Amino acid sequence: MSLRTFILGLVASFGIAWLAVVVIPFFKMRSLEPIVHAEGTEQAGEVFFPKRTGRIVNGAAVYAANGCYLCHTQVIRPTYAGNDMFRSDWGGLADDEDRGDTRRETNAWDFLGESYAHIGVTRMGPDLSNFGRRLEANYLEEGQSPEDWIYYHLYRPFNRADLRIGRATCPPHPFLFEKKKIAGQGSDEALDVDACEGHEVVPGSEVKALASYLISLKKDQAVPAQLDFSPGKK
Amino acid sequence: MSSQDTQSTTEDAQLRAGIDRSLRHPVMFFLCSGAAWLAVSILLGVIASAKMHHPEFLSSCPLLSYGRVFPAHMNVLIYGWAMQAAFAVIIWLMARLSRKECRSAGTILTAGHIWNLGVTMGTLGILGGYGTGIQWMEFPVFAWPVLLISYFIIIIWSFIQFRVRPKGQVYVTQWYLLAAMVWFPWIYITANTLIHCLEGHPVMAAGINAWFRSGMLLLFFTPVALGAAYYLAPKVTGRPVFSYALAKLGFWSLAIIAPWAGMQKLAGAPIPAFLPYVGAAATALIFIPACTAAVNMLCTVLSDKDTLSKSPSLRFVTAGITGLIILACSAVLLNLPFDGFNTLQLSQFSISGYGFDVLGIYGFFSLVMFGATYFIVPRITRREWVSKRLISMHFLLSCYGVVFVALVAIFGGLMQGLGIEDWKTNDLARANPYAWAVTISWSLILLSNVFFLLHLALMWMRLGRRSTHPTLLVSSHDHASPHGEEGDIDNAGEIEPAH
Repeated sequence: MSLRTFILGLVASFGIAWLAVVVIPFFKMRSLEPIVHAEGTEQAGEVFFPKRTGRIVNGAAVYAANGCYLCHTQVIRPTYAGNDMFRSDWGGLADDEDRGDTRRETNAWDFLGESYAHIGVTRMGPDLSNFGRRLEANYLEEGQSPEDWIYYHLYRPFNRADLRIGRATCPPHPFLFEKKKIAGQGSDEALDVDACEGHEVVPGSEVKALASYLISLKKDQAVPAQLDFSPGKK
Repeated sequence: MSSQDTQSTTEDAQLRAGIDRSLRHPVMFFLCSGAAWLAVSILLGVIASAKMHHPEFLSSCPLLSYGRVFPAHMNVLIYGWAMQAAFAVIIWLMARLSRKECRSAGTILTAGHIWNLGVTMGTLGILGGYGTGIQWMEFPVFAWPVLLISYFIIIIWSFIQFRVRPKGQVYVTQWYLLAAMVWFPWIYITANTLIHCLEGHPVMAAGINAWFRSGMLLLFFTPVALGAAYYLAPKVTGRPVFSYALAKLGFWSLAIIAPWAGMQKLAGAPIPAFLPYVGAAATALIFIPACTAAVNMLCTVLSDKDTLSKSPSLRFVTAGITGLIILACSAVLLNLPFDGFNTLQLSQFSISGYGFDVLGIYGFFSLVMFGATYFIVPRITRREWVSKRLISMHFLLSCYGVVFVALVAIFGGLMQGLGIEDWKTNDLARANPYAWAVTISWSLILLSNVFFLLHLALMWMRLGRRSTHPTLLVSSHDHASPHGEEGDIDNAGEIEPAH
């Protein structure tokens, strides 16, 4: 075998796979055809575009830099690939007051606005695809804001009685908060936790972006018929 | 023996000595800094693993929060230790096999320092909260061009040596190393440009990342380790490779199958559905190249069991090849997408992925690299290893530790997967005992690598034994010295036995 045949062999064996699984799918996925809602539905004629509000880009960067993706996934797999749809409120709300069962699979439009989809590595914690929805519907106490819930959770996660799993294994992130001297009446945002005398704990800018990002995770909008694979829907 | 033969043997020995001398500093630099990074990585691994069962452990320090320590652990393991060990082995083996002295040791050494600077800055970047969150590419974006350029400066000389080598047959090791030298930049550039430089679909970026991780393991670390094993096994036993046809089959099947693997990590995610299943099939098919090479190696090694029990390099290489067989079996076991036995969906988001990576990088690749280190270092420093006890401690603790980490993570991951699929149970309770076991075994591995680092540092300072007798793992009751025979203390050449 001469060097030339060897190199040609390498280029061919690697190059074919490289084109087929990386390059061509990359350029195909980059320009997805827009999907239009079908006739006879509420949004007939509109292009499907899940809207998200909040500090998505900043929040995703904080999410990435602090390794949230190591324990939390953001994908609801179709039933042939896993049981995610049956988990309570992972894919949406099983029993929403206005919309009924909103659970659905993750689709390619759900990550618009992010540069990298944090599909995740392991599920040491719950899936977060619909965390924002779940938080607002199930977790909040009377008068509590979603941000506050997230702040307390990130400050000291493993002391929470309201999580049904008992003891959360999420590590605490007190370093995302600032501890500062109380000036005047103190900050409105201060957390009700033990701080040294004359000090208060307030959320830092990173954790604010992260909270905004987490609240934006509501991937259970109605999808056009082409993307709707759930057996219960028409 | 004719006088011509004697002359050519002497010339050969001189040439080999010249090659070894020309590469002494770069090879020792890569091995020593690699071993130091390995110790750092394992320490970070112990911390990360302890946080799995004790989340409050060291939690007040932002640098040591789980989400930063774990990526730092993996990236240091890959770019700090594994890549540098691969550099040392590639430049030495390519010079030896091309029979060319290295004329650019200074340049390689400089590039090696830049590489280490890149890894240091990248690791500090992750710990400081600037990680990209893209697995195995968590170093902040500035790091990858630095690493890529220093890679080219380190490796290009081995290509040149290969081009200007004296004519002759190309050995199996050279196929594997040349291929690895081409594949690494190809996958590294592809992944980094498509994810960082071109704007693509976010889910496809995650797919490319999964392909990149699989490529690093199967298209760089695997061929480098197999190349080294194909060199060491025949060299140390003095027997020819068992079968050349098997070697060819092993190489080309790896080249054809491995580039398709990786995207099974995205099964069920919104990318074209064929990608994850092609990835799962290719990963399972890795069984063919892995077992072909492993059988070939084992048949070569087992033809001389006496040497196998005595030679530290051969023991490590054989242990690494055994690791490859386990890796091949788990590649099949973890990637079956069949109804009723869907291990792909169980392993996809469980700790068995980590177990698989550790098995590949430590249980196979690193063990072979340790074997190569025990072979190369005495030749380039012209000193023998100080203590056989340190070597056997390193061997035993490494083997026990890695078997524990890998098997526990793989099976623990499957248990965790069952917990995740069964939506009524608490899956974390299932994973918890396995997380404990992983912490304990990383601690064992840490201990073993402190021995290794210490031993290597002694060799680097040229405090090795000045002897013509290699340090062998023989348990002798009749020798006074615990380190093996003393031999000729001045290392001036073979002396006649006194009796």
